[in-house]
Order: sequence, then structure tokens, then C-alpha cells
Amino acid sequence: MNKKIISRILTWIFIGAVLSVCLYIMANGLGLQPELDFGAGAYYYADIPDFDQYTEKARFQARLPYWVYLILFLAWGALMYAAWKWIDKK
Amino acid sequence: MENTKKVPDFWSKEDWQACWLGFTIILIACIAVLAKAFDFSAVKFATWSVGEAGASNVVPLSEQFGNFAFWRKLLVTFGVLGFLFTLAVKLQGESVKKYIPAFIGLFFIALLVRFISAEFTLNRYLEWAFWALLVGLLISNTVGVPQWLKPAIKTEFYIKTGLVIMGFSVLFSNIARFGLYGLGITWIVTPIVILFMWWLGTKVLKIDNKPLVITLSTATSVCGTSAAIATAAASKAKKADLTVVVSISIIFTVLMMVFEPMIIRAIGMNQLMGGSLIGGTIDSTGAVVVAGTALGPEAQTAAVLVKSIQNMLIGFIAFFVAIFFATHVEKTNDRKVGPAEIWYRFPKFIIGFFAASLIASFLILPLFGADQVDAVNKVLDQYKNWCFVLAFTSIGLDTNFKEIARQMQGGKVFWLYVIGQTFNIVLTFFAVWLLLSGVLFPIPTLS
Repeated sequence: MNKKIISRILTWIFIGAVLSVCLYIMANGLGLQPELDFGAGAYYYADIPDFDQYTEKARFQARLPYWVYLILFLAWGALMYAAWKWIDKK
Repeated sequence: MENTKKVPDFWSKEDWQACWLGFTIILIACIAVLAKAFDFSAVKFATWSVGEAGASNVVPLSEQFGNFAFWRKLLVTFGVLGFLFTLAVKLQGESVKKYIPAFIGLFFIALLVRFISAEFTLNRYLEWAFWALLVGLLISNTVGVPQWLKPAIKTEFYIKTGLVIMGFSVLFSNIARFGLYGLGITWIVTPIVILFMWWLGTKVLKIDNKPLVITLSTATSVCGTSAAIATAAASKAKKADLTVVVSISIIFTVLMMVFEPMIIRAIGMNQLMGGSLIGGTIDSTGAVVVAGTALGPEAQTAAVLVKSIQNMLIGFIAFFVAIFFATHVEKTNDRKVGPAEIWYRFPKFIIGFFAASLIASFLILPLFGADQVDAVNKVLDQYKNWCFVLAFTSIGLDTNFKEIARQMQGGKVFWLYVIGQTFNIVLTFFAVWLLLSGVLFPIPTLS
């Protein structure tokens, strides 16, 4: 019982600390870049003004044909899905 | 009641309706953009400021309200969404007379949310999802939601419609675009983190709310709010579950955006590795760009590339979550679930999401090119955002603070996020080191 209470208290202290730091960051405008007109609030790429400029100029070089990536992508996905079923069953 | 029976499921059920509503908007946007027929853009507030703001894109409110295009777009947005949702509600057999005034009220609150979230100071860290929840919660927990507004509170319907529209922006060609390195960093790590958090949440912390666990897991490993929206709909999570997940994700995104570049710089990691780590671990795309920029131009590019692949994963993950929940979680006994049963339980809007993605990838893209697809998506993005703002405002209006506190399950959900995110950072760091440090593979070049 005591253990449970202590863990709850610790949890709420941690949550309080996280919220305080978060509020401090926001109140002081920390972490923002002056040249960018957005921040963490742009949750999805569509919320970022002119997002194209960040993707069109560069990319990792892809050397293999498209279907190789697709097969690797699907194979890994299938394997992970099987692993998920196994974990859930266990 | 009799009315609904007469209308086939394809027209009267919410899941199917989300598909054809989404496709109607996609079709009109395609005609408007590809044929250059008319301007179908939805209304969006430009950034405005209460005080003086140094940013270049701040547009004074007087200028925004004085622009005829603003009012025209507002009318188009209201007309299109109002007409389509009202038609759907009629086919569902509900009262149109009650829905119309309710929708007008909800749209007005959503407009207020978008207005608030466009303010320069307020939109730096928190944007529409947060403000929509807050405004809704403030109304419902203080003055209360008036009876006449309730018929418009259709959270799931707005989310599903928004997701079908979003499907058009998920292009299959992007899988190859970023090569083995990009795929390795995102696609290897992401499912492992989801499985780890599933195991931790359901088996170790014994959280019995499985939709909440999977929603939090995907928000942590994929891309925060958007992933949470998609998975919550696919797993049929409660509104309070989504509220808790989005709140946690928003708070930690702010912290990670500030501290992650600091730590990366302190340990002397190079820009390519640091940017990739940021892209793979920070939830919101905006925070990824900002944190990447803090490290330098190469880090910014790497961070955005990795995050872009993660954004693309949302649809696939939501699809498999829907299958998994239909076949395993919703199963009431040990008997094997047949295809008919799976089909019955399967959230049909996911089909709409994939169909939109396939049409964009294999029809519109080859026929009209990437620039035209981007142009269509610029129009669709705003309609998607409007659907999500309507949804999040509805969640706020339909939720009370006690319910949210209960969903925290005595802090277990919070720890699940903290441990899961730590695991995500460690695993992504390992993947980044393995692929990009040059120990095993040649260091790639960003062209």
C-alpha cells in the first residue's frame, strides 16, 4: 500500500516537473528558430508553410529499383505483424 | 428509424459516408486544380499578432478581414462542409432541422479555434489540436454544452472524413524516394517500438484499455497527433483516450524540441546522425524542422527526410491496427473469426484512405506529375485540417476533466509514454549509428 502511494506521489511530482519545464520553455520562447515562422505546434507537414522547400532539394540517394524497397517494406511489416500477434497471445 | 433501413449501408453508415464525403472533396479539388477551373481553397487565417512580432509572415487582422478572398473562402469552406455533412446526417436518418443550427454553432467555435491558433505567440508551441480541445473543454466544463449544439458533435465522423482526405497525400513512391537508409531508420525502428510499448502497456503495466495503449504507442513511434488520430479511429478508441494521448505528445514534443538538439550537440554527434535521430524521435513535424535547424542545414534535411517517411507510415499502420483489432482484440471468445466477421468489424473508412492514396500514387501522379499532386494536396490539407478541428472541438465539448484524469490510470499511461519514448530514442540512436556512422555501411550523401 505504501509502495503504491509513494509511486503515485513520485508520478505526480514528475508530471508537475514536466509541466513546469514545459511552461517555462513556452513563456521564454526557448528552442525556436528566428528564421522559421512555426514551432512544435505544426503537428503535420501540411501545417508548415512551404514545406516543399525542405524535401525537394535533397534526399538520401536510392540506388535500387522501386520494387526492392516495396518488397523489403512489406516483408518487414508482415514479420512485425506476426510478432505482434505472438506477443499478444503470450 | 424506418428511414435508415431504406438506405443501403454504403450511403447511410458513417464509415462509408466518410469515404464518399472524402472522395467528393478530393474530386472537386482535383478538378479545380488540374483543370484550373476554379479556386477551391478552404479558408485559413494567416499568422497574426496581439503585440509586435518580428516574423515576416505576420499579416494584420485588418488586412485579413479586409480581403474579399478571405470571406469567399470562408463561405466555400462552410458551404462545402456544411452541405456534405448535412446530407450525410439526413441519410443516417437523423434530423436535418436539428443538425443545421448545431453545425453552424460548431463551425463558429471551430473558426474561433483556428483564429486563436493562428496568433503568433500562441501558435509557436501549441496549435489547433490543443486549442480545439481547450476551447471545447472550457465550454463543456463551465457553462455546459447547450442541447441544440449536441447533434453536431460527431467526432468520429469528422476524423474519418479527414483521414480519407489525408490519404491522398500518402504517396507510395515515397517508399523508394528515401532509399535503404531512410527506410532502415524509420521502418525497422517504428514497429519494434510499437510492439515494445504494446507489451509494456498490456502485459507489464496491465493497462486494460488496449485502444489507448496502441494510440499512445503509434503517437510515440510515428508522428504524434496525426498518428494518434488515425490509430484512435482504427482501434475505436474513446474520445478521452485521444485527448490524453495528444496532450502527452504535445507536452513532450515541446521538451524534446528544446533538449534533444542540446544533448546531440553536447555528445558531439555529427549533423547527419543528429538530424536523423531528431526526425525519428520527435513527434510533431514542425518541432522536427525546428530542432533539425538548430543543429545545422544537413541535420535539418536529414531530420525532415526521416520524418517524411514516418508520416507516410500512418496509413499502413492504421490499416494493420484495424485488422488486428477486428481479428484479435474485439474477439469475445476463442473461436476463429471468419472473413465475414472481420469485414463487419473492419473500419471501412480505412479502405477510403488507401483508395485515395492509391489513386494519388498510381493515377494522378503518373498522369499529371508531382507538382500537380502537391497543388491538389495544398487545397486538400486545409479541408483535412477543418475536419480535424471540428473533431477536436467536438472531443472537448464531449469530455469532462474527470474522465481525462481517469484515463491516466493512476499515472501508468504517463510512464508508458516516458519508457516507450526512451526506448524509441535508444533504438533510433542504434539504427542511426549502425547505418550512418560508417562502421557497417558507407555514409550516404544528401544530394
